Amino acid sequence: MTEIIVVTSGKGGVGKTTTSASLACGIARRGKRVAVIDFDIGLRNLDLIMGCERRVVYDFVNVIQGDCTLKQALIKDKRIDTLYVLAASQTRDKDALTQEGVRRVLDELTADGFDYIICDSPAGIEKGAHLAMYFADRAVVVVNPEVSSVRDSDRILGLLASKTLRAEQGNGGVKEHLLLTRYSPKRVASGEMMSVDDVKEILGLDVIGVVPESQDVLTASNAGTPVILNEQSDAAQAYEDAVARLLGESKPLRFIEEPKKGFFARMFGG
Amino acid sequence: MNKPAEAVRSPASTAPLEIRFGQVGLAQVRIRTTDPGAILDELTGRVATAPQFFERTAVCLDLSALEKEPDVAEVRAVMDAVRRAGMLAVGLAHGTAAVDALARALDVPVLTYFRPQNRPPPVLQPADPQELAVPTLMHHTPVRSGQRVYARHRDLVVTSTVGAGAEVIADGCVHVYGAVRGRAVAGARGDVTARVFCQEFYAELVSVAGVYRVFETIPAELAGKPVQAWLSGDDLHVARIGS
Ligand SMILES: Nc1ncnc2c1ncn2[C@@H]1O[C@H](COP(=O)(O)OP(=O)(O)OP(=O)(O)O)[C@@H](O)[C@H]1O
Ligand SMILES: [Mg+2]
Repeated sequence: MTEIIVVTSGKGGVGKTTTSASLACGIARRGKRVAVIDFDIGLRNLDLIMGCERRVVYDFVNVIQGDCTLKQALIKDKRIDTLYVLAASQTRDKDALTQEGVRRVLDELTADGFDYIICDSPAGIEKGAHLAMYFADRAVVVVNPEVSSVRDSDRILGLLASKTLRAEQGNGGVKEHLLLTRYSPKRVASGEMMSVDDVKEILGLDVIGVVPESQDVLTASNAGTPVILNEQSDAAQAYEDAVARLLGESKPLRFIEEPKKGFFARMFGG
Repeated sequence: MNKPAEAVRSPASTAPLEIRFGQVGLAQVRIRTTDPGAILDELTGRVATAPQFFERTAVCLDLSALEKEPDVAEVRAVMDAVRRAGMLAVGLAHGTAAVDALARALDVPVLTYFRPQNRPPPVLQPADPQELAVPTLMHHTPVRSGQRVYARHRDLVVTSTVGAGAEVIADGCVHVYGAVRGRAVAGARGDVTARVFCQEFYAELVSVAGVYRVFETIPAELAGKPVQAWLSGDDLHVARIGS
Protein backbone atom coordinates (compact mmCIF):
# COMPACT_ATOMS: atom_id res chain seq x y z
CA MET A 1 0.00 0.00 0.00
CA THR A 2 1.35 3.36 -1.04
CA GLU A 3 0.42 6.44 0.96
CA ILE A 4 0.47 9.82 -0.70
CA ILE A 5 1.15 12.66 1.72
CA VAL A 6 0.90 16.29 0.65
CA VAL A 7 2.81 18.94 2.59
CA THR A 8 0.87 22.15 2.10
CA SER A 9 0.10 25.50 3.74
CA GLY A 10 -1.52 28.16 1.60
CA LYS A 11 0.88 30.83 2.82
CA GLY A 12 4.35 30.91 1.35
CA GLY A 13 7.64 30.50 3.16
CA VAL A 14 6.26 28.77 6.24
CA GLY A 15 8.50 25.70 5.96
CA LYS A 16 6.83 23.25 3.56
CA THR A 17 9.99 22.31 1.70
CA THR A 18 12.02 22.07 4.90
CA THR A 19 9.30 19.81 6.29
CA SER A 20 8.94 17.68 3.15
CA ALA A 21 12.68 17.01 3.09
CA SER A 22 12.91 16.12 6.77
CA LEU A 23 9.78 13.95 6.83
CA ALA A 24 10.96 12.11 3.71
CA CYS A 25 14.39 11.44 5.25
CA GLY A 26 12.90 10.45 8.58
CA ILE A 27 10.46 7.97 7.08
CA ALA A 28 13.02 6.53 4.67
CA ARG A 29 15.52 6.11 7.50
CA ARG A 30 13.06 3.67 9.02
CA GLY A 31 13.43 1.43 6.01
CA LYS A 32 10.41 2.61 4.02
CA ARG A 33 10.73 3.37 0.32
CA VAL A 34 10.01 7.05 -0.09
CA ALA A 35 9.75 9.35 -3.10
CA VAL A 36 9.59 13.09 -2.46
CA ILE A 37 8.28 15.26 -5.30
CA ASP A 38 8.73 19.00 -5.80
CA PHE A 39 5.46 20.45 -7.16
CA ASP A 40 6.81 24.00 -7.14
CA ILE A 41 7.34 24.22 -10.90
CA GLY A 42 9.42 27.23 -11.82
CA LEU A 43 10.77 27.72 -8.28
CA ARG A 44 12.57 24.48 -7.73
CA ASN A 45 13.90 24.26 -4.24
CA LEU A 46 13.59 20.78 -2.83
CA ASP A 47 16.69 19.53 -4.68
CA LEU A 48 18.75 22.24 -2.96
CA ILE A 49 17.48 21.34 0.51
CA MET A 50 18.07 17.66 -0.27
CA GLY A 51 21.56 18.46 -1.58
CA CYS A 52 21.09 16.84 -4.99
CA GLU A 53 20.80 19.93 -7.20
CA ARG A 54 23.87 19.00 -9.22
CA ARG A 55 22.42 15.62 -10.09
CA VAL A 56 19.16 16.86 -11.61
CA VAL A 57 19.14 15.85 -15.27
CA TYR A 58 15.45 15.25 -15.86
CA ASP A 59 12.60 16.64 -13.79
CA PHE A 60 8.90 16.09 -13.01
CA VAL A 61 7.76 17.99 -16.13
CA ASN A 62 10.07 15.94 -18.37
CA VAL A 63 8.45 12.77 -17.06
CA ILE A 64 4.95 14.12 -17.55
CA GLN A 65 5.73 15.22 -21.09
CA GLY A 66 7.35 11.91 -21.94
CA ASP A 67 10.89 13.27 -22.51
CA CYS A 68 12.30 10.58 -20.24
CA THR A 69 11.20 7.69 -18.07
CA LEU A 70 10.35 8.07 -14.41
CA LYS A 71 13.37 5.91 -13.53
CA GLN A 72 15.67 8.32 -15.35
CA ALA A 73 14.28 11.29 -13.46
CA LEU A 74 14.25 9.83 -9.93
CA ILE A 75 17.38 10.86 -8.05
CA LYS A 76 18.55 8.34 -5.48
CA ASP A 77 19.64 9.92 -2.21
CA LYS A 78 23.31 9.38 -1.33
CA ARG A 79 22.69 9.01 2.38
CA ILE A 80 19.57 6.86 2.60
CA ASP A 81 19.17 4.21 -0.06
CA THR A 82 15.37 3.93 0.12
CA LEU A 83 14.92 7.64 -0.60
CA TYR A 84 14.33 9.21 -4.03
CA VAL A 85 13.80 12.80 -5.15
CA LEU A 86 11.83 13.98 -8.17
CA ALA A 87 12.87 17.58 -8.83
CA ALA A 88 10.74 20.38 -10.25
CA SER A 89 11.55 22.13 -13.46
CA GLN A 90 13.10 25.56 -13.07
CA THR A 91 12.43 26.64 -16.63
CA ARG A 92 8.83 25.63 -17.25
CA ASP A 93 5.77 27.32 -15.88
CA LYS A 94 3.21 25.67 -13.70
CA ASP A 95 0.86 24.98 -16.61
CA ALA A 96 3.21 22.18 -17.63
CA LEU A 97 1.64 20.09 -14.85
CA THR A 98 -1.60 18.34 -15.75
CA GLN A 99 -3.86 16.27 -13.57
CA GLU A 100 -3.54 13.33 -15.95
CA GLY A 101 0.24 13.61 -15.98
CA VAL A 102 0.45 13.79 -12.19
CA ARG A 103 -1.84 10.78 -11.92
CA ARG A 104 0.38 8.74 -14.24
CA VAL A 105 3.53 9.54 -12.27
CA LEU A 106 1.86 8.71 -8.93
CA ASP A 107 0.43 5.48 -10.38
CA GLU A 108 3.82 4.44 -11.64
CA LEU A 109 5.46 5.11 -8.26
CA THR A 110 2.69 3.10 -6.62
CA ALA A 111 3.16 0.20 -9.04
CA ASP A 112 6.88 0.40 -8.36
CA GLY A 113 6.21 -0.39 -4.69
CA PHE A 114 6.99 2.90 -2.99
CA ASP A 115 5.60 2.99 0.55
CA TYR A 116 5.26 6.77 0.77
CA ILE A 117 5.07 9.58 -1.75
CA ILE A 118 5.60 13.03 -0.26
CA CYS A 119 4.32 15.93 -2.35
CA ASP A 120 5.95 19.29 -1.57
CA SER A 121 3.26 21.80 -2.53
CA PRO A 122 3.89 25.30 -3.82
CA ALA A 123 2.37 28.18 -1.85
CA GLY A 124 -1.02 29.59 -2.79
CA ILE A 125 -4.24 27.91 -3.77
CA GLU A 126 -3.70 27.86 -7.51
CA LYS A 127 -3.19 24.98 -9.89
CA GLY A 128 0.14 23.75 -8.53
CA ALA A 129 -1.13 23.57 -4.96
CA HIS A 130 -4.33 21.98 -6.16
CA LEU A 131 -2.51 19.26 -8.11
CA ALA A 132 -0.15 18.58 -5.19
CA MET A 133 -3.09 17.83 -2.91
CA TYR A 134 -5.51 16.27 -5.37
CA PHE A 135 -4.43 12.63 -5.08
CA ALA A 136 -3.34 12.76 -1.43
CA ASP A 137 -4.38 10.27 1.22
CA ARG A 138 -3.04 12.45 4.01
CA ALA A 139 -2.07 16.07 4.37
CA VAL A 140 0.48 17.71 6.61
CA VAL A 141 -0.63 21.34 6.89
CA VAL A 142 2.39 23.42 7.85
CA VAL A 143 1.52 26.47 9.89
CA ASN A 144 3.50 29.22 11.61
CA PRO A 145 2.00 30.46 14.86
CA GLU A 146 0.71 33.73 13.48
CA VAL A 147 -2.68 34.95 12.31
CA SER A 148 -2.20 35.06 8.54
CA SER A 149 -0.62 31.63 8.37
CA VAL A 150 -3.42 30.15 10.48
CA ARG A 151 -6.02 31.80 8.28
CA ASP A 152 -4.42 30.41 5.11
CA SER A 153 -4.24 26.96 6.66
CA ASP A 154 -7.93 27.14 7.39
CA ARG A 155 -8.50 27.92 3.72
CA ILE A 156 -6.31 24.99 2.66
CA LEU A 157 -8.17 22.67 5.02
CA GLY A 158 -11.38 23.73 3.32
CA LEU A 159 -9.91 22.82 -0.06
CA LEU A 160 -8.62 19.50 1.25
CA ALA A 161 -12.15 18.76 2.39
CA SER A 162 -13.70 19.60 -0.98
CA LYS A 163 -11.26 19.72 -3.88
CA THR A 164 -9.44 16.40 -3.59
CA LEU A 165 -10.10 13.01 -5.15
CA ARG A 166 -10.85 11.52 -1.75
CA ALA A 167 -13.33 14.27 -0.96
CA GLU A 168 -15.00 13.84 -4.34
CA GLN A 169 -15.28 10.10 -3.84
CA GLY A 170 -16.69 10.71 -0.37
CA ASN A 171 -14.64 7.94 1.23
CA GLY A 172 -13.65 9.70 4.42
CA GLY A 173 -11.65 12.45 2.73
CA VAL A 174 -8.00 13.28 3.23
CA LYS A 175 -6.62 12.66 6.71
CA GLU A 176 -5.40 16.02 8.01
CA HIS A 177 -2.47 16.74 10.32
CA LEU A 178 -1.19 20.03 11.62
CA LEU A 179 2.51 20.76 11.93
CA LEU A 180 3.60 23.97 13.63
CA THR A 181 6.99 25.32 12.64
CA ARG A 182 9.19 28.24 13.66
CA TYR A 183 7.70 27.96 17.13
CA SER A 184 9.28 30.15 19.75
CA PRO A 185 8.14 29.37 23.30
CA LYS A 186 9.70 32.62 24.46
CA ARG A 187 7.65 34.70 22.06
CA VAL A 188 4.55 32.72 22.97
CA ALA A 189 5.16 33.47 26.65
CA SER A 190 5.51 37.17 25.91
CA GLY A 191 2.27 37.14 23.96
CA GLU A 192 3.86 37.96 20.59
CA MET A 193 3.10 34.58 19.09
CA MET A 194 0.12 32.26 19.14
CA SER A 195 0.43 29.16 21.30
CA VAL A 196 0.03 25.54 20.20
CA ASP A 197 -3.32 25.50 21.96
CA ASP A 198 -4.52 28.68 20.21
CA VAL A 199 -3.72 27.22 16.80
CA LYS A 200 -5.24 23.84 17.67
CA GLU A 201 -8.41 25.48 18.84
CA ILE A 202 -8.85 27.76 15.85
CA LEU A 203 -8.21 25.03 13.31
CA GLY A 204 -9.90 22.27 15.28
CA LEU A 205 -7.15 19.77 14.58
CA ASP A 206 -4.51 17.97 16.59
CA VAL A 207 -0.87 18.74 15.94
CA ILE A 208 1.49 16.09 14.66
CA GLY A 209 4.55 18.10 15.51
CA VAL A 210 5.88 21.39 16.79
CA VAL A 211 9.23 22.40 15.31
CA PRO A 212 11.01 25.17 17.16
CA GLU A 213 12.50 28.21 15.45
CA SER A 214 16.09 27.16 14.93
CA GLN A 215 19.24 28.51 13.35
CA ASP A 216 20.08 24.91 12.41
CA VAL A 217 17.42 24.97 9.68
CA LEU A 218 19.22 27.60 7.65
CA THR A 219 22.59 25.96 8.21
CA ALA A 220 21.11 22.65 7.06
CA SER A 221 19.58 24.20 3.95
CA ASN A 222 22.86 25.80 3.00
CA ALA A 223 24.63 22.49 3.42
CA GLY A 224 22.01 20.54 1.47
CA THR A 225 21.45 18.25 4.44
CA PRO A 226 17.84 18.06 5.66
CA VAL A 227 17.81 19.32 9.23
CA ILE A 228 16.45 16.03 10.60
CA LEU A 229 19.87 14.49 9.91
CA ASN A 230 21.55 16.87 12.39
CA GLU A 231 20.83 14.77 15.48
CA GLN A 232 22.02 17.49 17.89
CA SER A 233 19.40 19.93 16.78
CA ASP A 234 16.08 20.53 18.55
CA ALA A 235 14.47 20.94 15.14
CA ALA A 236 15.75 17.50 14.11
CA GLN A 237 14.35 15.88 17.23
CA ALA A 238 11.03 17.61 16.71
CA TYR A 239 10.86 16.36 13.11
CA GLU A 240 11.82 12.87 14.26
CA ASP A 241 8.90 12.96 16.72
CA ALA A 242 6.58 14.10 13.93
CA VAL A 243 7.73 11.17 11.77
CA ALA A 244 6.98 8.78 14.61
CA ARG A 245 3.50 10.23 15.10
CA LEU A 246 2.86 10.17 11.36
CA LEU A 247 3.66 6.45 11.43
CA GLY A 248 1.23 5.92 14.28
CA GLU A 249 3.37 6.13 17.43
CA SER A 250 2.29 8.42 20.22
CA LYS A 251 4.80 10.82 21.71
CA PRO A 252 4.41 13.79 24.03
CA LEU A 253 5.07 17.20 22.47
CA ARG A 254 8.50 18.68 23.16
CA PHE A 255 10.03 22.12 22.73
CA ILE A 256 6.79 23.93 23.47
CA GLU A 257 7.90 25.42 26.75
CA GLU A 258 10.68 27.78 27.61
CA PRO A 259 13.73 25.99 28.97
CA LYS A 260 13.38 25.44 32.74
CA LYS A 261 14.45 28.32 34.88
CA GLY A 262 17.33 28.02 37.29
CA PHE A 263 16.97 27.18 40.96
CA PHE A 264 16.78 30.74 42.24
CA ALA A 265 14.27 31.82 39.70
CA ARG A 266 12.08 28.91 40.71
CA MET A 267 12.52 29.60 44.43
CA PHE A 268 11.55 33.20 44.13
CA GLY A 269 9.01 32.81 41.36
CA GLY A 270 10.96 35.20 39.06
CA MET B 1 8.67 8.55 -25.94
CA ASN B 2 8.21 12.09 -27.20
CA LYS B 3 4.47 12.28 -26.98
CA PRO B 4 2.86 15.58 -27.84
CA ALA B 5 1.70 17.47 -24.78
CA GLU B 6 -1.94 17.23 -25.87
CA ALA B 7 -1.96 13.48 -25.43
CA VAL B 8 -1.83 13.80 -21.66
CA ARG B 9 -4.40 16.54 -21.31
CA SER B 10 -8.00 15.77 -20.53
CA PRO B 11 -10.51 17.38 -22.90
CA ALA B 12 -12.15 19.30 -20.05
CA SER B 13 -8.97 21.18 -19.20
CA THR B 14 -8.46 22.29 -22.79
CA ALA B 15 -11.89 23.90 -23.10
CA PRO B 16 -11.43 27.67 -23.23
CA LEU B 17 -13.91 28.26 -20.43
CA GLU B 18 -16.22 26.81 -17.86
CA ILE B 19 -19.61 28.12 -16.79
CA ARG B 20 -20.96 27.74 -13.30
CA PHE B 21 -23.99 29.14 -11.59
CA GLY B 22 -23.96 29.75 -7.90
CA GLN B 23 -24.56 32.13 -5.07
CA VAL B 24 -22.31 35.13 -5.06
CA GLY B 25 -21.97 37.81 -2.45
CA LEU B 26 -23.50 41.11 -3.52
CA ALA B 27 -24.09 44.27 -1.61
CA GLN B 28 -27.36 45.93 -2.44
CA VAL B 29 -27.16 49.68 -2.50
CA ARG B 30 -30.55 51.35 -2.51
CA ILE B 31 -30.15 54.97 -3.52
CA ARG B 32 -32.51 57.74 -2.54
CA THR B 33 -30.78 60.30 -4.69
CA THR B 34 -28.94 60.25 -7.99
CA ASP B 35 -26.59 63.01 -6.83
CA PRO B 36 -23.19 61.40 -7.45
CA GLY B 37 -21.46 63.69 -4.94
CA ALA B 38 -23.77 62.72 -2.11
CA ILE B 39 -23.42 59.05 -2.99
CA LEU B 40 -19.65 59.24 -3.22
CA ASP B 41 -19.41 60.95 0.18
CA GLU B 42 -21.66 58.49 1.92
CA LEU B 43 -20.13 55.36 0.37
CA THR B 44 -16.56 56.49 0.89
CA GLY B 45 -17.31 56.88 4.56
CA ARG B 46 -18.86 53.45 4.81
CA VAL B 47 -16.07 51.75 2.91
CA ALA B 48 -13.53 53.35 5.22
CA THR B 49 -15.23 51.88 8.29
CA ALA B 50 -14.87 48.31 7.05
CA PRO B 51 -12.44 48.17 4.14
CA GLN B 52 -11.96 44.38 4.09
CA PHE B 53 -15.68 43.96 3.85
CA PHE B 54 -16.48 46.60 1.26
CA GLU B 55 -13.44 47.13 -0.90
CA ARG B 56 -14.07 45.95 -4.46
CA THR B 57 -17.33 44.39 -3.35
CA ALA B 58 -19.81 43.76 -6.15
CA VAL B 59 -22.75 46.10 -5.83
CA CYS B 60 -26.27 45.73 -7.11
CA LEU B 61 -27.88 49.15 -7.52
CA ASP B 62 -31.46 49.31 -6.34
CA LEU B 63 -33.34 52.21 -7.94
CA SER B 64 -36.70 51.48 -6.35
CA ALA B 65 -36.48 54.19 -3.69
CA LEU B 66 -35.96 57.03 -6.15
CA GLU B 67 -38.82 59.51 -6.51
CA LYS B 68 -38.67 59.53 -10.28
CA GLU B 69 -37.15 57.19 -12.80
CA PRO B 70 -33.57 58.20 -13.57
CA ASP B 71 -32.16 58.41 -17.09
CA VAL B 72 -29.16 56.52 -18.43
CA ALA B 73 -26.72 59.38 -17.85
CA GLU B 74 -27.78 59.74 -14.21
CA VAL B 75 -27.39 56.03 -13.49
CA ARG B 76 -24.05 55.98 -15.22
CA ALA B 77 -22.87 58.85 -13.01
CA VAL B 78 -24.06 56.96 -9.93
CA MET B 79 -22.19 53.83 -11.01
CA ASP B 80 -19.05 55.92 -11.45
CA ALA B 81 -19.47 57.34 -7.97
CA VAL B 82 -19.81 53.82 -6.56
CA ARG B 83 -16.64 52.82 -8.35
CA ARG B 84 -14.75 55.83 -7.09
CA ALA B 85 -15.82 54.94 -3.55
CA GLY B 86 -14.05 51.61 -4.01
CA MET B 87 -16.98 49.30 -4.73
CA LEU B 88 -18.01 47.95 -8.12
CA ALA B 89 -21.55 48.36 -9.44
CA VAL B 90 -22.21 45.24 -11.49
CA GLY B 91 -25.92 45.43 -12.15
CA LEU B 92 -29.33 46.85 -11.36
CA ALA B 93 -31.80 45.34 -8.95
CA HIS B 94 -34.88 43.88 -10.55
CA GLY B 95 -37.69 46.41 -10.76
CA THR B 96 -39.90 48.00 -13.38
CA ALA B 97 -39.71 47.71 -17.15
CA ALA B 98 -37.84 51.03 -17.04
CA VAL B 99 -35.09 49.32 -15.03
CA ASP B 100 -34.84 46.64 -17.71
CA ALA B 101 -34.46 49.31 -20.37
CA LEU B 102 -31.81 51.15 -18.34
CA ALA B 103 -29.90 47.93 -17.78
CA ARG B 104 -29.90 47.20 -21.49
CA ALA B 105 -28.74 50.72 -22.30
CA LEU B 106 -25.94 50.44 -19.72
CA ASP B 107 -25.05 46.91 -20.77
CA VAL B 108 -25.35 45.50 -17.24
CA PRO B 109 -27.48 42.63 -15.93
CA VAL B 110 -30.70 42.89 -13.97
CA LEU B 111 -30.28 40.99 -10.72
CA THR B 112 -33.28 39.54 -8.98
CA TYR B 113 -32.08 38.44 -5.57
CA PHE B 114 -32.61 41.25 -3.11
CA ARG B 115 -34.77 42.34 -0.27
CA PRO B 116 -37.76 44.45 -1.19
CA GLN B 117 -38.71 46.89 1.51
CA ASN B 118 -41.06 49.61 0.48
CA ARG B 119 -43.17 47.45 -1.79
CA PRO B 120 -45.43 44.59 -0.81
CA PRO B 121 -43.27 41.47 -0.95
CA PRO B 122 -45.68 38.63 -1.54
CA VAL B 123 -43.24 36.13 -3.01
CA LEU B 124 -40.48 36.68 -0.52
CA GLN B 125 -42.76 36.79 2.52
CA PRO B 126 -40.61 34.77 4.89
CA ALA B 127 -43.42 33.70 7.15
CA ASP B 128 -44.80 31.47 4.42
CA PRO B 129 -45.17 28.14 6.26
CA GLN B 130 -44.67 26.17 3.05
CA GLU B 131 -41.21 27.62 2.66
CA LEU B 132 -40.10 27.05 6.22
CA ALA B 133 -41.41 23.49 6.30
CA VAL B 134 -38.08 22.37 4.81
CA PRO B 135 -35.96 20.63 7.43
CA THR B 136 -33.08 22.54 9.00
CA LEU B 137 -29.79 22.33 7.15
CA MET B 138 -27.29 20.53 9.38
CA HIS B 139 -23.57 21.01 8.91
CA HIS B 140 -21.21 18.96 11.06
CA THR B 141 -17.74 19.81 9.79
CA PRO B 142 -15.75 23.02 10.24
CA VAL B 143 -16.67 25.78 7.81
CA ARG B 144 -13.21 26.86 6.67
CA SER B 145 -11.94 30.21 5.51
CA GLY B 146 -13.24 30.88 1.99
CA GLN B 147 -16.13 28.45 2.32
CA ARG B 148 -19.78 29.41 2.43
CA VAL B 149 -22.71 27.38 3.66
CA TYR B 150 -26.16 28.63 2.69
CA ALA B 151 -29.45 27.30 4.00
CA ARG B 152 -32.11 28.28 1.48
CA HIS B 153 -35.60 28.82 2.86
CA ARG B 154 -34.61 27.37 6.21
CA ASP B 155 -32.54 27.45 9.36
CA LEU B 156 -28.91 26.45 9.51
CA VAL B 157 -27.32 24.50 12.34
CA VAL B 158 -23.54 24.19 12.43
CA THR B 159 -22.16 21.84 15.06
CA SER B 160 -18.56 22.85 14.41
CA THR B 161 -16.62 26.06 13.98
CA VAL B 162 -16.87 28.85 11.41
CA GLY B 163 -13.38 30.06 10.55
CA ALA B 164 -12.26 33.62 9.89
CA GLY B 165 -13.19 34.49 6.32
CA ALA B 166 -15.89 31.79 6.18
CA GLU B 167 -19.61 32.57 5.84
CA VAL B 168 -22.71 30.87 7.19
CA ILE B 169 -25.94 32.16 5.72
CA ALA B 170 -29.57 31.19 6.18
CA ASP B 171 -32.92 32.53 5.07
CA GLY B 172 -34.02 31.58 8.58
CA CYS B 173 -31.93 31.53 11.76
CA VAL B 174 -28.27 30.61 12.05
CA HIS B 175 -27.21 28.48 15.02
CA VAL B 176 -23.56 27.67 15.57
CA TYR B 177 -22.57 25.32 18.36
CA GLY B 178 -18.94 26.32 18.25
CA ALA B 179 -16.80 29.37 17.64
CA VAL B 180 -17.70 31.86 14.92
CA ARG B 181 -14.73 33.83 13.59
CA GLY B 182 -16.17 34.54 10.17
CA ARG B 183 -19.52 35.97 9.13
CA ALA B 184 -22.98 34.88 10.19
CA VAL B 185 -25.96 36.06 8.17
CA ALA B 186 -29.56 35.28 9.17
CA GLY B 187 -32.72 36.27 7.34
CA ALA B 188 -30.86 36.50 4.06
CA ARG B 189 -34.13 37.01 2.18
CA GLY B 190 -35.41 39.62 4.53
CA ASP B 191 -36.95 37.77 7.47
CA VAL B 192 -36.58 40.42 10.16
CA THR B 193 -37.46 37.93 12.90
CA ALA B 194 -34.52 35.66 12.11
CA ARG B 195 -31.65 35.54 14.59
CA VAL B 196 -28.05 34.48 14.83
CA PHE B 197 -27.03 32.33 17.77
CA CYS B 198 -23.51 31.24 18.45
CA GLN B 199 -21.72 29.53 21.26
CA GLU B 200 -18.39 31.36 21.09
CA PHE B 201 -18.49 34.79 19.56
CA TYR B 202 -15.51 36.16 17.65
CA ALA B 203 -17.42 37.01 14.46
CA GLU B 204 -16.14 39.62 12.02
CA LEU B 205 -19.64 40.38 10.80
CA VAL B 206 -23.17 39.56 11.88
CA SER B 207 -26.24 40.42 9.85
CA VAL B 208 -29.98 39.96 10.10
CA ALA B 209 -32.23 40.79 7.15
CA GLY B 210 -29.54 42.92 5.55
CA VAL B 211 -28.76 44.99 8.65
CA TYR B 212 -25.22 44.21 9.63
CA ARG B 213 -22.55 44.98 12.19
CA VAL B 214 -18.85 44.66 11.51
CA PHE B 215 -16.57 43.85 14.41
CA GLU B 216 -13.14 45.27 13.78
CA THR B 217 -12.41 44.59 17.41
CA ILE B 218 -14.70 42.35 19.35
CA PRO B 219 -16.20 44.00 22.43
CA ALA B 220 -14.35 42.48 25.35
CA GLU B 221 -17.53 41.53 27.16
CA LEU B 222 -18.69 39.49 24.15
CA ALA B 223 -15.48 37.80 23.07
CA GLY B 224 -15.75 34.04 23.28
CA LYS B 225 -19.18 34.24 24.92
CA PRO B 226 -22.47 32.68 23.83
CA VAL B 227 -24.20 35.44 21.91
CA GLN B 228 -27.35 36.11 19.94
CA ALA B 229 -28.11 38.83 17.42
CA TRP B 230 -31.55 40.10 16.52
CA LEU B 231 -33.25 43.04 14.88
CA SER B 232 -35.31 45.55 16.74
CA GLY B 233 -36.58 48.09 14.27
CA ASP B 234 -33.56 49.03 12.21
CA ASP B 235 -31.10 48.27 14.97
CA LEU B 236 -29.13 45.09 15.15
CA HIS B 237 -28.60 44.03 18.74
CA VAL B 238 -25.85 41.70 19.75
CA ALA B 239 -25.85 40.43 23.31
CA ARG B 240 -24.87 37.58 25.55
CA ILE B 241 -27.29 34.74 25.94
CA GLY B 242 -28.13 33.91 29.52
CA SER B 243 -26.78 35.89 32.47
N1 LIG C 1 12.06 25.78 12.14
C1 LIG C 1 12.62 26.79 11.46
N2 LIG C 1 13.46 27.67 12.09
C2 LIG C 1 14.02 28.68 11.42
N3 LIG C 1 13.86 28.91 10.12
C3 LIG C 1 13.05 28.08 9.42
C4 LIG C 1 12.39 26.98 10.05
N4 LIG C 1 11.67 26.33 9.11
C5 LIG C 1 11.86 26.99 7.95
N5 LIG C 1 12.69 28.04 8.12
C6 LIG C 1 13.16 29.00 7.10
O1 LIG C 1 12.01 29.56 6.45
C7 LIG C 1 12.30 29.78 5.10
C8 LIG C 1 11.22 29.11 4.25
O2 LIG C 1 11.30 27.70 4.40
P1 LIG C 1 10.80 26.71 3.26
O3 LIG C 1 11.49 27.00 1.97
O4 LIG C 1 10.86 25.34 3.80
O5 LIG C 1 9.30 27.20 3.17
P2 LIG C 1 8.21 26.85 2.05
O6 LIG C 1 6.91 26.84 2.76
O7 LIG C 1 8.60 25.64 1.30
O8 LIG C 1 8.33 28.12 1.11
P3 LIG C 1 7.61 28.30 -0.33
O9 LIG C 1 6.19 28.66 -0.02
O10 LIG C 1 8.37 29.42 -0.94
O11 LIG C 1 7.74 27.01 -1.04
C9 LIG C 1 13.67 29.23 4.82
O12 LIG C 1 14.57 30.30 4.82
C10 LIG C 1 13.93 28.31 5.98
O13 LIG C 1 15.30 28.24 6.29
MG1 LIG D 1 8.79 25.34 -0.86
